[in-house]
Amino acid sequence: MTAGREVLVRCDGVARTFGEGERAVVAVHGVDCAILAGERIAVTGPSGSGKSTLVHLLAGLDTPTHGTVSWPVLGPREGLRPGPVAVVFQGPSLLAPLDVSENVALPQLLVGVEEADALAGARRALDRLGLAELATRLPEELSGGQLQRVAVARALAGRPRLILADEPTGQLDHVTGTAVVRALLEAAGLLGAALVLTTHDPTVAGLLPVRWTMADGRLRQGRAVSSCSA
Amino acid sequence: MLGLTWLRGLLTRRPGRLAAAAAGVAVAVALLASLGSFLAASKATMTRRSVADVAVDWQVEAQPGAAPADVLSGVRGFAGVERALPVAFATTTGLQATVAGSTQATGPGVVVGLPEGYRQVFGGELRDLAGAGAGVLLAQQTAANLHAGPGDTVTVGRAGLSPARVRVDGVVDLPQSDSLFQKVGAPPGSQPQAPPDNVLLVPAGRWHALFDPLARARPDLVRDQVHARLVRRLPADPAAAYTTVSGAARNLEARLAGAGLVGDNLGAALAAARSDALYAQVLFVFLGLPGAVLAGLLTAAVAGAGRDRRRLEQALLRARGLATGRLVRLAVAEAALVGVLGAAAGLGAALAIGYLAFGTASFGATPLAAAGWAGAAALTGLVIAGATVALPARRDARTATVYAARQPLGRPGRPAWARLGLDLWLLAASGLVFWLTSRGGYQLVLAPEGVPTISVSYWGFAGPALLWTGTGLLAWRLADAALARGRGPLRRAARPLAGGLAGTVAATLSRQRRLLVRSLVLVALTLAFAISTAVFNSTYRQQAEVDARLTSGADVTVTEPPGAAVGPQAAAQLAGIPGVRAVEPLQHRFAYVGSDLQDLYGVRPATVVDATSLQDAYFAGGTARALIGRLASQPDGVLVSAETVHDFQLQPGDPLTLRLQDGRTKAYRAVRFRYLGVAKEFPTAPRDSFLVANAGYVAAATGSDAVGEFLVDTTAPPQTVAGRIRARLGLQAQVSDITTVRHVVGSSLTAVDLAGLTRLELAFALLLAAAATGLVLALGLAERRRTLAIAGALGARPRQLAAFVWAEAVVVTAGGLAAGIVGGWLLSAMLVKVLTGVFDPPPAALSVPWTYLVLTAGVALTAVAVAAGGAVRASRRAVVRSLRELV
Repeated sequence: MTAGREVLVRCDGVARTFGEGERAVVAVHGVDCAILAGERIAVTGPSGSGKSTLVHLLAGLDTPTHGTVSWPVLGPREGLRPGPVAVVFQGPSLLAPLDVSENVALPQLLVGVEEADALAGARRALDRLGLAELATRLPEELSGGQLQRVAVARALAGRPRLILADEPTGQLDHVTGTAVVRALLEAAGLLGAALVLTTHDPTVAGLLPVRWTMADGRLRQGRAVSSCSA
Repeated sequence: MLGLTWLRGLLTRRPGRLAAAAAGVAVAVALLASLGSFLAASKATMTRRSVADVAVDWQVEAQPGAAPADVLSGVRGFAGVERALPVAFATTTGLQATVAGSTQATGPGVVVGLPEGYRQVFGGELRDLAGAGAGVLLAQQTAANLHAGPGDTVTVGRAGLSPARVRVDGVVDLPQSDSLFQKVGAPPGSQPQAPPDNVLLVPAGRWHALFDPLARARPDLVRDQVHARLVRRLPADPAAAYTTVSGAARNLEARLAGAGLVGDNLGAALAAARSDALYAQVLFVFLGLPGAVLAGLLTAAVAGAGRDRRRLEQALLRARGLATGRLVRLAVAEAALVGVLGAAAGLGAALAIGYLAFGTASFGATPLAAAGWAGAAALTGLVIAGATVALPARRDARTATVYAARQPLGRPGRPAWARLGLDLWLLAASGLVFWLTSRGGYQLVLAPEGVPTISVSYWGFAGPALLWTGTGLLAWRLADAALARGRGPLRRAARPLAGGLAGTVAATLSRQRRLLVRSLVLVALTLAFAISTAVFNSTYRQQAEVDARLTSGADVTVTEPPGAAVGPQAAAQLAGIPGVRAVEPLQHRFAYVGSDLQDLYGVRPATVVDATSLQDAYFAGGTARALIGRLASQPDGVLVSAETVHDFQLQPGDPLTLRLQDGRTKAYRAVRFRYLGVAKEFPTAPRDSFLVANAGYVAAATGSDAVGEFLVDTTAPPQTVAGRIRARLGLQAQVSDITTVRHVVGSSLTAVDLAGLTRLELAFALLLAAAATGLVLALGLAERRRTLAIAGALGARPRQLAAFVWAEAVVVTAGGLAAGIVGGWLLSAMLVKVLTGVFDPPPAALSVPWTYLVLTAGVALTAVAVAAGGAVRASRRAVVRSLRELV
């Protein structure tokens, strides 16, 4: 199944524990998996099952307590973000003092792109998602759905190879959430990027061809296309 | 139940927010209560110090026709009188003594009869200088006039009787001669009677032997008094003490039914202290109240730093159905908790400060005043907590929608005051009030030798208050405009810090400008307060030193007795004393200007400027060197007072005829001078008008080169050199040193008040500066942790996150410093002018305490660095942990 496609992220026996002693919480038990280029994966599971922790580990935002996470073709962990990996968070994640175009341009500015080029790239990303008219608005002037779509535009502006979306529809109604997921899928398709999306909504999960399931920190295979076990 | 749950939740989940708000309240309460401690301590000190030096509390003078024995028994029987002794006064036609073949004679004087035991009861009235401390005593000036000392015989003239001869046993100083020889029963406000130049003190028995015959023949030349000492159980408050003592004095007079009048020395001292207490309250208003207001603003800023989170929490509660009324009650509960904690901490801190700094752990001079001050301070803390926590919550709950309450930033519009130009109106009003009130001047006079008069215009405080407020609002307007419209300059300025993120940083600063400007203005107001207080205090100390220099004249001043014929060549004798660097002779004569008798000082123009450190401020229309230089080029020139110029309508170069006493004939003769300029102050010169002329011209015109004072510049401690000079000269001349004079000036009640108040204020100013910069910045950055966490999650490097933090710190600090320096300078100039009556003499220029100001700036910058550094370190923590905490 992996023939011909690059492995973007590999997890080998990855586990993450928070706290110590009696108060220790194992959020993720030993996970072995690989995400291939261009894959579309939905990670489902109830709240507290470890979905967000897994996403944070895959994005390099967090380090495992045991095992290793590697990015064979994306480079070292320090260069993942902003860069080949983009993250879309659950809650409002735009910077309040910046308008939409400045928010979308921010990841590019962080890697040293010239301001004019970064803003131009931001406008293109907004155009792609039909959000051009929001460019000068402040985050507080947007609806929940608009906020998440702008967050998606921000993720896409850097032309990532891997998009990790942690419950992007968690605070949205069903219709809006579905629209956001469709925008993610469309954008990922345009870029040829892999997409890993966590959700507890089966309808949203059904939009992606591959489904992983997390329960009590363990990854269970459902209708898995890539090899992944725990 | 919900309230308790809410408070428990705040204590466990938001302890920092509660602690910060309570700390702000505590600072305001501590400052107010400390000021109460200061006032209590200073009032008690005023009462204690003012009465400590009073040797004779009451001098009850028997009226003509009254039996002195009846007056004595009446005073002794009065409740509150501890001891009472009879003292007799007789006027002598003159004293004469022949010493070493030379006969000296004086004019009329007074012979005082002291009973046995007088010195044990009223020891402060006499100070031994030579010989025995009992028997026949000569006053120091009289001894100098007669050239007499212990063992010499003095002839005492008696009107209509043969002279009496007495043998001198000792020489004494009479430090309270002004009150000892007062005219008892003089109308209030009348000029004080100068003590007699010639005084002899004899035992009572000897006095009666000498002057009982005179009393029978000329009863108008003798008088009897009863000197009384009261039981000193006085209220701490000088006003209350004054009322007690003066009321008792009037009561005694009523009981004596006209047989005696009371010279109330204790009441007079307490009256001055009462005036000082009023003065301390004036200083509190002018200098202390702004500090309390500032502490309140700081508390508002600290509480306001958590307002957005509070609004979000309340919006969440409202979205889940909590009624507005219950919501407001929760806010009130939080405000009450903050207020109670802050007030308790503030009162505790104030007690400690009062005990450590002023030696008293009381908030008032009386129990009622203490309870009032503590209650008022605590109530102020509660009001501040309510205004900053409960009131905004109530306003949001009643006016804002749930949706609006969840919005963190908003596009800031112009506040109403800015649209109305309130800042400009306040500044204009400040200028107008200042101009109007300054025209009348300010009378805050503390006159040790006279009845102190105080004329205080509280309206005058409006000028500095309006200036302070107006500059704060103007700083707001300018900073807001700069951040709103200056994106380009901001971007360029941020580039060294932020590199490619400069545009983003500038955008962040611009859109967060309301938060930044609030902090900036708070920093500016705090620094303006610190600067103005420090400059006022430093200028006061500067003028106190000038006053000491003017009073003393030099490090050591040797004053020759009146009529002494000591020439300038005597300076060589003084110059040979170890520790003396230079000696400048100064003629001191008296001259009639028209019918007005003024002091005339003859100087050597070539040397007097450097020898006496003459200040330019002593003269008008030129520098000291320039004006004295005119004397050098015009031998018959004279410098006069502005009042003399006005009275005689003088123009430079006009002839001015003075009448001076000829040294040979002792008769007054006309001497022509030429008016050269105005002298406002001169070392050793009185407050009244005086004249300065060439010593050589005066000596030639009067046939006498007699010197009045020798101004001695020393290399050794002045007190040491003064002691050596006294040992060399004996009682021939009066020797004073600037250290003693400085101590007298510096230990005046006014100086002690100001020193205590400004010490407290300057310490609080440092604390407020640290809080206004570091604490407010830290709280603001803490509220923006989410922004930094998101940026970190997006991949911002630590250096890039630091750029956001440091840019904000630089804007607040640099802007606050600039506005604070300008505001502080303006406020200093206005305060010094408004309180010009405090200074003696008024300052020509402000004195800037660079050390304290650098220290304040250092404290502020350190606080900013600590706050910003802490925020940078916090932003480097695991991004995920930060995001988890903030969700």
